[in-house]
Amino acid sequence: MQNNHGGPRSGAGRKKGSSVYGESTRAIRVPESLIPTVRQLLDHRKQHPSLKKTITDSFLHPAQNPNALACPLFTGKVAAGFPSPADDHIEKTLDLNELLISKPTATFFVRAEGESMLGAGIHPNDILVVDRSLEAAPGKIVICAVNGELTVKRLIQRHEQLILASENSDYPDILIREDFNLVIWGVVTNVIHAL
Amino acid sequence: MPPCFALVDCNNFYVSCERLFRPDLHGKAVAVLSNNDGCIIARSEEVKALGIQMATPVHQVMPLIKQHRVTLFSSNYSLYGDLSNRVMSTLAGFTPHLEIYSIDESFLTLQTLPTQSIEEQTQTIRRTVQRHTGIPVSIGLGPTKTLAKLANKIAKQEKTTGIFNLSCPIDRACYLKLTAVKDIWGIGSKTAKKLQVLNIITAWDLAQQDPEWIRSLFTVTAARTVRELNGFTCLTLDEVPGTKQQIICSRSFKGGLRDHRLLAQALSHFCLRAGEKLRIQNSLTSRITLFINTHPFAKNTPADNRSASLKLPQTTQDSRVIIAQAKKLLTQLVQPGYRYHQCGIILSHFDHPTTPRQADLFTDNAHHPHARKLMTTIDTINQRFPNCLTFAASGLQTAWQAPPQWLSPHYTTQWQELAHVKCI
Repeated sequence: MQNNHGGPRSGAGRKKGSSVYGESTRAIRVPESLIPTVRQLLDHRKQHPSLKKTITDSFLHPAQNPNALACPLFTGKVAAGFPSPADDHIEKTLDLNELLISKPTATFFVRAEGESMLGAGIHPNDILVVDRSLEAAPGKIVICAVNGELTVKRLIQRHEQLILASENSDYPDILIREDFNLVIWGVVTNVIHAL
Repeated sequence: MPPCFALVDCNNFYVSCERLFRPDLHGKAVAVLSNNDGCIIARSEEVKALGIQMATPVHQVMPLIKQHRVTLFSSNYSLYGDLSNRVMSTLAGFTPHLEIYSIDESFLTLQTLPTQSIEEQTQTIRRTVQRHTGIPVSIGLGPTKTLAKLANKIAKQEKTTGIFNLSCPIDRACYLKLTAVKDIWGIGSKTAKKLQVLNIITAWDLAQQDPEWIRSLFTVTAARTVRELNGFTCLTLDEVPGTKQQIICSRSFKGGLRDHRLLAQALSHFCLRAGEKLRIQNSLTSRITLFINTHPFAKNTPADNRSASLKLPQTTQDSRVIIAQAKKLLTQLVQPGYRYHQCGIILSHFDHPTTPRQADLFTDNAHHPHARKLMTTIDTINQRFPNCLTFAASGLQTAWQAPPQWLSPHYTTQWQELAHVKCI
């Protein structure tokens, strides 16, 4: 006589798709080093059940916060111990400070206003790198005080006459007379122009 | 040959900083005000000539200021700190034997070189600092720190070369006779009064006394001063500054604060700042002292000056713990109906993190590594973006702090506030 003792009952057991993930699941083996990443992925999936299929795109990456000026020349480090042929040739990363600033204690940044120095490549709103330690010689672009205001000019010498010249024909040059108390604030070494 | 001490002091430092990007203010009357735009803390020569004294409350001399068109500035410590670093770094380029004494003063030691005398070296230093940083300095020279400081004072008064040397005993005798005891570094006004009673009026009189006798009547510092005035070195250069034994953060409030919630907000802000300084020197504190004062010169309002101290069960450098304990102290101290003019926090009794210490059964130790990480993160962010992160206890708006009226731009520390130069 057949009896119905024991055995599975229809409709019994955990329903497929009733897991926290809202779909059927399967057990897999994960390498130990990847366990934290997989756990993080699953937590994220639990918290955002709407992201069913697009999950592979939403791995969270730690924010990169590199030094604002360093651009790696190249990287030769490999964690796995394989000796890179580049190991003997690694140079330090490029640093804009090194390129633009030779004397940090005497270097200041200022912002240019106006168009009299367009010919020298100085546009309005450019940042000028000014070095106070440099000698103001003819030919250099200098910051000086004119009528109590810091002004940018090129210092030139024409037959013993020192002139503060502009680099735009719409703007006049200033001849330095004997009674003109010329005080050079600094020498402009570089212009930073945002395109 | 014994080295010569030099004291390099910036002339009217805060004024000189404000004038760096303002050539229109050279030769004009300029004054810089304290926190809250309360008192005058720096004066140009033109302002000194008007008879305005140091630390005068600005409202007392406002008519004079308006009449003579004195340009006022609120204190811009970001600018002053940056320019001070530049001055000190420039000095460090001449010698590693440097002791930064304050924001605008440094002691150096100089040796005669085959190619340059000490005077020539000093002239080069002075020219270089002025040229590179834009800050004019005066330099005093002497066989001891005390004499170098006195020489510096004379250099400022003489105004000719900006340098003065008290190494020669004959010059020294002459100038010591012209200097009052109260003007000597190391002699305070109370000591000076007591010395005057003993008929010791000038620095020369003091230099003639027996140091042991002075020590018996006053302090060992006074005795050292006597020796130093005679050219015997007692004070050496402190090339490596020691860690502070006490950290104070306090401010005064314009108009006073009656609202205790605002006081609590201000206090939380001071605790965060004090905590930052504590973490920079990597100390742990075990004692917090809070003080609150009413205005010392307020008429018609009662005075209430109180302080209270609390020993922490565990040493800490966590700003959250400091804030919580300080607020507890504040509720004990604050009295209703009083208008408080000043409030501050003092952290003391420091330990180094590696010092072994007794654990406490009742305090949760588990927070320590996380607390340290959290504090480090907050400090790093605040260094990059000043005042970015504070605790909610400090309030969203700093209603307890009136905005400065005459603040100059942060010319050297913020990209959006660079000085503009004209291309005309």
